Amino acid sequence: MLRLLRTMWTIRAFEEKVSELFGRREVHGLLHLSIGQEAVAAGACAALRTTDRVVSGHRPHGHAIAKGVDIASLFAELAGRETGCCRGKGGSMHLAAPTTGFVTATGIVGGNVALALGVAFACKEREKQEVAAVFFGDGAGQSGAFHESLNIAALWKLPLLFICENNGYAEFTPLSAHTPISQLARHAETYGIPSATVDGNDVLAVRTAISDAAARARAGGGPSFIECMTYRLRGHYEGDPAKYRELSELSDWKTKDPIRRFAATLVKKGTCTHEQMRAVEAEARASVEAAAQKASTGAWPSVDEVTTLVYAG
Amino acid sequence: MTSELNQQEAMELLRTMLLIRRFEEGLIQTQKSGISIGHFHVYIGQECTGAAAIALLEPQDKIATTHRNHGHLLARGADPRRLYAEILGKAAGYNKGKGGTLHATVAGLGFLSTSALVGGAVPLAVGAGFAAKQLGERCVSVGFFGDGVLEEGVFFESLNMASLWKLPVVFMCENNSAGALGQSAGEYPGSTIATKQLIDVVAPFGVPASAVDGGDPRAVRDVTQQALARARNGGGPTFIEARTVRWPGSRPLWPELSTGETDVAFAWEPDRIPMAHRDWFANDGLIRYVRQLFDAKLANTKEILALDATVRADLAKAMRFAIEAPYPDPASALDDVFA
Amino acid sequence: MAELTYIEAINSALREELARDRGVYVIGEDVALGGPFGATKGLAAEFGERRVVNTPISEGAIMGLATGAAAMGLRPVIEVMFVDFITLAMDQLVNHAAKLHYMSGGQLGIPLTVRVQQGAAGNGGAQHSQSLEAWFIHVPGLKVVMPSNPADAKGLLTAAIRDDSPVICIEHRALYWTRGEVPDGEHTIPIGRAALRRPGKDVTLVATSRMVEVALEVAGTLANEGIEVEVIDPRSLLPLDLDTITASLRKTGRLVIAHEAVEGAGFGAELLAQVQEAAFDYLDAPIARVGAPFAPVPASPVLEQAFVPGAERLAGAVRKVVLGA
Ligand SMILES: Cc1ncc(C[n+]2csc(CCOP(=O)(O)OP(=O)(O)O)c2C)c(N)n1
Ligand SMILES: Cc1ncc(C[n+]2csc(CCOP(=O)(O)OP(=O)(O)O)c2C)c(N)n1
Ligand SMILES: [Mg+2]
Repeated sequence: MLRLLRTMWTIRAFEEKVSELFGRREVHGLLHLSIGQEAVAAGACAALRTTDRVVSGHRPHGHAIAKGVDIASLFAELAGRETGCCRGKGGSMHLAAPTTGFVTATGIVGGNVALALGVAFACKEREKQEVAAVFFGDGAGQSGAFHESLNIAALWKLPLLFICENNGYAEFTPLSAHTPISQLARHAETYGIPSATVDGNDVLAVRTAISDAAARARAGGGPSFIECMTYRLRGHYEGDPAKYRELSELSDWKTKDPIRRFAATLVKKGTCTHEQMRAVEAEARASVEAAAQKASTGAWPSVDEVTTLVYAG
Repeated sequence: MTSELNQQEAMELLRTMLLIRRFEEGLIQTQKSGISIGHFHVYIGQECTGAAAIALLEPQDKIATTHRNHGHLLARGADPRRLYAEILGKAAGYNKGKGGTLHATVAGLGFLSTSALVGGAVPLAVGAGFAAKQLGERCVSVGFFGDGVLEEGVFFESLNMASLWKLPVVFMCENNSAGALGQSAGEYPGSTIATKQLIDVVAPFGVPASAVDGGDPRAVRDVTQQALARARNGGGPTFIEARTVRWPGSRPLWPELSTGETDVAFAWEPDRIPMAHRDWFANDGLIRYVRQLFDAKLANTKEILALDATVRADLAKAMRFAIEAPYPDPASALDDVFA
Repeated sequence: MAELTYIEAINSALREELARDRGVYVIGEDVALGGPFGATKGLAAEFGERRVVNTPISEGAIMGLATGAAAMGLRPVIEVMFVDFITLAMDQLVNHAAKLHYMSGGQLGIPLTVRVQQGAAGNGGAQHSQSLEAWFIHVPGLKVVMPSNPADAKGLLTAAIRDDSPVICIEHRALYWTRGEVPDGEHTIPIGRAALRRPGKDVTLVATSRMVEVALEVAGTLANEGIEVEVIDPRSLLPLDLDTITASLRKTGRLVIAHEAVEGAGFGAELLAQVQEAAFDYLDAPIARVGAPFAPVPASPVLEQAFVPGAERLAGAVRKVVLGA
């Protein structure tokens, strides 16, 4: 239980720090923060094994952290250092750390879904009971790649978990202006893919749904679709004033903050004390500070690196 | 609901269906005789769908179609001479020989395009619906496409927009794989789509959808008429699946007249149907329709045979015209690259 | 040596690689049924439909599937039926397959092979006849090979499958049924090495894919006129074996480039730029390039013939470079 809380706090602290560093121009690029959505990443990855594979999209920090990617290497990557997980070549939207099972992220909306199809295909062929999971937003649900992938995953019974983070917006546009459908899990039903729509701000609900789906996939039952209803508490990208939504909507969702909610539940149930709660947050913040500090001393890549690693081998 | 066809309309529908059947039989024979035609696709067995649906369109309506386009063009009134000429690459063709069978397009008849890319016609049809709505025209855009299109992502992107914006579009999916592998057992219609029924993929988008026998003109008319009315009244798109059984001669690249030419007398003398093809002709929309006309006493055998003979004679002339027509000037290859 | 058609050579490369490496998969529309041209004939029967996989008509997802599977260490070989349809898969090819190795700082390898055929032949019209190789040589991270005969078709495809980067093997449909000697057994051709097809001292003619055949015909004709044409087939456009070409120019001082794709912004333009940077001093005459005119491919047989660069046009261009205007 505390592990889930720790993961969520680490993600929150990491992204708050990223935001601060971005303001000081110490990290760079187009940054999409997942503040408010931490329960999806934490709950889902807690239900996966290290050997399971994750593919993410343009909002990937939380997924990478929850999958166990070293946060110092993530900071370094965002800061463009050679010590970054991708040697400074990837940046925020293209994180990769395959040894942790975090295969890759992509900045192409919908592109992650098709890639994950292949990852799941390989998992199936390797016959080691590994499963693949892909995180994508509600916006990706209108892309052709998404629909093609649902069909193929169902047809071939691939061990793939479609994890939709339905935060109600794609960039500045509400879902209702993008599609007549409010629940994207409906598309999964079309292909007979088992689906569940869960409260994405309830970390335990997410974990349970993903556990069930992963067990089914491991047993050869094919793909599942888990739609997590959630909300991003920040703008679409760092610097977005997010004027397209009502303040009341925002404050409403703030009361459903997944971290505070989970902490309150734990205290109420007597699982732990207020002090322990605060200690978890403090530890997370301290480890994030240390990682940021470490990253800031990382060397810049040599400019010769521009043209290295274009081809493998 | 659907108005019954009067005798003249009923015969006109038969004429269109025969025109398409004979047009393509003629094409196969011409190709066999050694005249060069790019690879082409035939509509044999699906005539009823296109003929019945297109007869309901108004002049301002738009059509986007696919590689299996001859029937749609003819049903809309394309001149067989110029269509044959296009397919044979002649200057007199509708597209001056530049389109060929795969891209034959008659803008004057409301055709936006023939796209040879699976799925390509669908966004074009949606675009025409969008334009019609923007311009406030009472025009409906009809996209004809095969069942394979439901495997392409662009189909979903297009359907979503049409539904969201309530565009006046009819998605006419011609499923010519009906009866294929597994379907009778209630399984997948093919090996490539994981739904029990094609129309299931449309349901979440909130687009009304129905599946009909594509060889039954009345059924096709019914659903098409409703769809057109809905589109014209601002009710948005409709999805129709017209099911037919694939003609045995419909090979992927060059079709073959493996069933022989269709004999309209099969309708009243079923014993004449070659044993090997009894099942297919029993389902053939054309033969079934001839029998209906005959049974309903809307036409007698003599009239039907006479109509067929006229259609054949006209098409023979059209083919001769196309064969004798000159090729375009090679220099014209560079014309029309830009408007 | 066995005499095989180009398509048989491709089939044999696929068969041998499927047998050699359990990680090789053949994936695409109708591939388990042999494919529309027979490239994958018999493979499903021999290796099973688990490794010779039929897909829905979903080019985007197929490319994504192959890329994701390659990132996991499989060696997928996908078939895109016509290069014209690769448009639907460009996101996965260009944004993902080509860049994942680089973006991941070298952590991910993408040992992906894309087989695709192209070219104007058989009046397919504008959406079944294009030559699009120039699109791919503009993308860092991809390798692009274009075999011009059966032996190369086998050797380059085998090398492509074994390569750890994404390789696009662009076949020419008109060559599918041409025959040629193919070495028995394992046969690979290193990617990035050009072939000298005919020696000559007066002018270098660099031709790709089906234009190699045309170039050799032209060389024969011009030999009778006293012009000795050296014909070079780059085989691989990316990486490009510029050394072989400049070495030839050192001898001939003259260059003509021939490809079937439209001239504008084509491979010829790129080669021309590279040559003038690397070998300007060897040149005795302006470089000429011969490609298709800047138009979509027309369907009519006479228009298609007028479109595809033929021997006459090529010979004219060579004469002009050698003899002056
Ligand atoms: C193919 C593509 N189109 C457009 C964009 C620009 N874009 C970046 S994020 C985004 C919205 C994505 O919305 P959603 O999938 O709901 O994810 P969220 O941002 O809400 O997490 C868009 C349109 C893109 N990155 N890729
Ligand atoms: C994008 C694309 N992919 C593949 C093809 C090759 N192809 C031509 S027809 C066809 C089958 C189409 O099936 P369907 O849509 O059901 O139409 P039908 O031919 O049955 O009428 C395929 C795969 C193509 N033309 N375009
Ligand atoms: Mg969203």
